[in-house]
Amino acid sequence: MKKKDVIKVEGLIKRYNGITALDGISFKVKEGEIFSMVGPNGAGKTTTVEICEGIKKPTSGTIQLFGEEFSTRSKGTREKIGVLPQEFRSFERLTVRETLKYYSSLYKRKRDIDEIISLMDLEDKKNELYMNLSGGLKQRVGVGMALVNDPELVFLDEPTTGLDPRARRGVWNAIKSLKEEGKTIFLTTHYMEEAEYLADRVAIVHKGRIVGQGSLSELISDHGGHYSVVLRGFDISNIEILGEEASVDSEQNVSIPVHDPKGISNILSKFMQEGVKFESMEVKRANLEEVFMTLTGTSIEEEEAAA
Amino acid sequence: MRSTAIITDFLANLRMWYRSKGTVFWSIAFPILLMLIFGAIYQGQSDLTISLYVQDLDGSEISAQFISSLGEQLKIEDIPADVDGDEYISENNIRAALIIPEDFGEAIYRVQQGSNESISLSLSLDPTRESINGIIRGVVGGTLHGWNNEITGSRDVLIYQEKSIAAEEFKFIDFFMPAVVGITVMTSTTYGTIFRNTKYRKWGILRKLSTTPFTRWEYLISKMLFMTFVSFVSTFLIILVGVLVWDISVTIDVYLFVIVVSAAFAFSGMGMIISRFVKEEETADSAAGAITFPQMFLAGTFFPLEVMPSYLRSFARVLPLYYVNEGLRDAMIYQDSSGALFNTAVIFSIAAVFFVIGALVTKWTE
Repeated sequence: MKKKDVIKVEGLIKRYNGITALDGISFKVKEGEIFSMVGPNGAGKTTTVEICEGIKKPTSGTIQLFGEEFSTRSKGTREKIGVLPQEFRSFERLTVRETLKYYSSLYKRKRDIDEIISLMDLEDKKNELYMNLSGGLKQRVGVGMALVNDPELVFLDEPTTGLDPRARRGVWNAIKSLKEEGKTIFLTTHYMEEAEYLADRVAIVHKGRIVGQGSLSELISDHGGHYSVVLRGFDISNIEILGEEASVDSEQNVSIPVHDPKGISNILSKFMQEGVKFESMEVKRANLEEVFMTLTGTSIEEEEAAA
Repeated sequence: MRSTAIITDFLANLRMWYRSKGTVFWSIAFPILLMLIFGAIYQGQSDLTISLYVQDLDGSEISAQFISSLGEQLKIEDIPADVDGDEYISENNIRAALIIPEDFGEAIYRVQQGSNESISLSLSLDPTRESINGIIRGVVGGTLHGWNNEITGSRDVLIYQEKSIAAEEFKFIDFFMPAVVGITVMTSTTYGTIFRNTKYRKWGILRKLSTTPFTRWEYLISKMLFMTFVSFVSTFLIILVGVLVWDISVTIDVYLFVIVVSAAFAFSGMGMIISRFVKEEETADSAAGAITFPQMFLAGTFFPLEVMPSYLRSFARVLPLYYVNEGLRDAMIYQDSSGALFNTAVIFSIAAVFFVIGALVTKWTE
């Protein structure tokens, strides 16, 4: 059965004081998927998500949530969405449970608070003041707050920014559990690995435009990313036996591109037949970072450093 | 001891200090503000226009000369000679009055002819305005002293008997207590609103709320209910301490209720307007101080307006706290219902204007 479009955005333009923040963005988010918008800071991710949430107004373009136009968005739509804003902090002197209860009281639709606490793995912290929580726990409370109305669509705007890897993993698990519940999730991030780990479909945003979108495998196959086999300790004087595409990097490691992942086993068989010797071997998977570089001509780190 | 470490630490502290706008405000701008305010108040003392009502029951040339002497330092207002002086003072809410007896001129003549009598003038003062009373006593006493010297060269022929205009139990604390209610409502609501709005905006709470079914007006109403509740708790506690510790006689009526509610709305509205322009949490403190401290010192909280130069008195009359203080005094202490009604009406109007503007500029979506 074809899944419904929960969000449908077409030709979205946003200008602030003559500066174009969004320049004709179009995308769809389908029911039950995690859709991730990826790009460096300042690319237009938060502006897009805040327009979809109803916080900002578009300069032009159409936005539909659950088939309802932006300009006529009703209270009913708000009942169906959950939001974690960027760089969010809640009331410092309320406990985790009190915080969730506060936000729950604002909606007609409700979900059991203890169930949310359990889902976010916050049982041990439910009576702690928000101000005493670590950054990772605060973000999990934030995700929990976005669930108090049992929303059909959840917006998570950079939910792991500034967290250490362990805390980030905790938030990822919380998001995964939402996906398992069938929630539709609109996630923005500037961490490529986050989108790779969580998203069903990804839109890469650069300077207010979507430069590529699709599933991870579609993006990689469409935009030049590939797997590669990297050999360390190989005698580079024999490089011709590895084929024309083999290249040597600055550390004298040899890299062989593999366009079809199934071809990796063929390469290994060939090495064994021809007695190719090396110290170690690594198979590198193509990733979003490479796709981003192909599409924009720069890395996300360089973009952020220049911003 | 490593001097470089000390210098480095000193410079780091200096850097952090000037980068904290709140700290800079409290350590530099606030003392300067105090100096400017109190300097303006006391530097202008020679410019004072303190009124003294005088009833001349004698109506002689000598009594006219005496009144003229007082007029060199005080602003003299007339009480008609054909009315009962005490009643007139009470009915017209006069706070300082001198009554010159009927045979003032004749008695002076008799003393000059060798009579041993004394002539007593009646000086009525409002005990809740002690700082002004001191000035009036000084002027009246000094003028009498000068005349005594001229009449006899030594003996105190002309003397004054002082009496209280208001009820005997009025003290300075009676004047001060309503103002404590006023400044407490002002500071708690103004600081509360500016801090809350600035923090909530910065932390994304307003953005989060805007995505829920909770409306901006529901948010504002709940905040106002909370501010009003806090204002009433403070008012109740201040009155309780005033009654139990200082034995103040307080009238609690509808004016008190309306003034406290209006003040909470007026100062919250002011806070909303200010917080529209405050971007950082660190600046909120300075912004709240900038609008509350001048009012605290210039709106007749700690001393009556009459001790201030005329331009500051005019300025005080545009400050909302002035009407809150005056209205609360009229309602709680003086039982002056016409004064209470006027001040309540003014603060209610100010509250309506500030709150509506404040609510309109408090936006949580674009």
